[in-house]
Amino acid sequence: MAAQEPENLRELGERLDEVQQRNAKRDTRPPPTQLGIASRFATELVAALLVGGAMGWGLDWLFGFFGIHTRPLFIVVFFVLGAAAGIRNVMRAANEINAEIAAHPAPSVNDDEEN
Amino acid sequence: MAMNPMEQFAIKPIVPLHIGGYDVSFTNQSLLMVIVAVAASAFLTLAMSKRSLVPSRSQSMAEMSYEFVANMIQTSTGEDGLRFFPFVFTLFIFVLCSNFFGMIPGSFTVTSQIAVTFALASLVILTVIVTGFAKHGIGFLKLFVPHAPLPLLFLLVPIEVISFLTRPISLSVRLFANMLAGHTMLAVFAGFVVLLGSAGGVLSVLSIAPMALIVAIMLLELLVAFLQAYVFAILTCIYLNEALHLHDHH
Repeated sequence: MAAQEPENLRELGERLDEVQQRNAKRDTRPPPTQLGIASRFATELVAALLVGGAMGWGLDWLFGFFGIHTRPLFIVVFFVLGAAAGIRNVMRAANEINAEIAAHPAPSVNDDEEN
Repeated sequence: MAMNPMEQFAIKPIVPLHIGGYDVSFTNQSLLMVIVAVAASAFLTLAMSKRSLVPSRSQSMAEMSYEFVANMIQTSTGEDGLRFFPFVFTLFIFVLCSNFFGMIPGSFTVTSQIAVTFALASLVILTVIVTGFAKHGIGFLKLFVPHAPLPLLFLLVPIEVISFLTRPISLSVRLFANMLAGHTMLAVFAGFVVLLGSAGGVLSVLSIAPMALIVAIMLLELLVAFLQAYVFAILTCIYLNEALHLHDHH
């Protein structure tokens, strides 16, 4: 018995090391949820439109302040630019989310082996 | 009985205070922020005070949150992002605790105020800008210049600038809107319970339905509370990553 115990302990240690190594590689972050993705996309898009519109409005105001009448021009141009920026944001967010999902391979049979 | 689901977001002064024409009263909002900050610091300090090798439950909660944030920073910004650990950890814990304290019936949700979330988001963006300029100098502006032919740049640079300016807004609006929507929904369904319950007869029995729904939404809100704190922290990391390693994204 006494001779067997260190052997068991060593084996346990090896198994623990193995599990730890496997866990170290795995991403501990929670996978993105549908709700999270939806709210992310919506805010990215809307916020870009708001910022674009506000910048255009501000530029129009600035030019108007110096006596140059541009009123609808900048707000229109920057609203469109804002829409483009919004789509850019959503594409970037989608890339990030894809990377996150890729870091979480679907729960496979391997996860059960630890028990 | 009039019930306003938005009433829970009203800011009420506790200690009225006016300095130089500005209203700087100590409100229920300030009180909750103080409670959150004190409770979070006290919990983390007390939990780690023993520093035992085999952690108690509270110590292992503190250690888990530490490792969770450390991992998050490491995977999204790499080793040199760990310098920002205190910043990201504080943000994460503050938002998380604010969200959770808001879930206690009768309390106040700090993060349902756009003033608070926008202040936090501005702090993040200012940190990003300062870090970027400190690390790359004027070269940080290259963040706004994608790889593209010159004529296209006239179009792309404004788009990138707008896209960058969007960040504090989307960061703050996401947190604020999620908390506001969730808590409003809870209050609306709670209103249904009272209305149905006071209707009498069969309708009173029906009030069980919205009650059950409230329990379900409460659970969902607990998830959202954690998730939004996590999203806030991870986006902070992603933005910091861009400031640290410029054009790693495409």
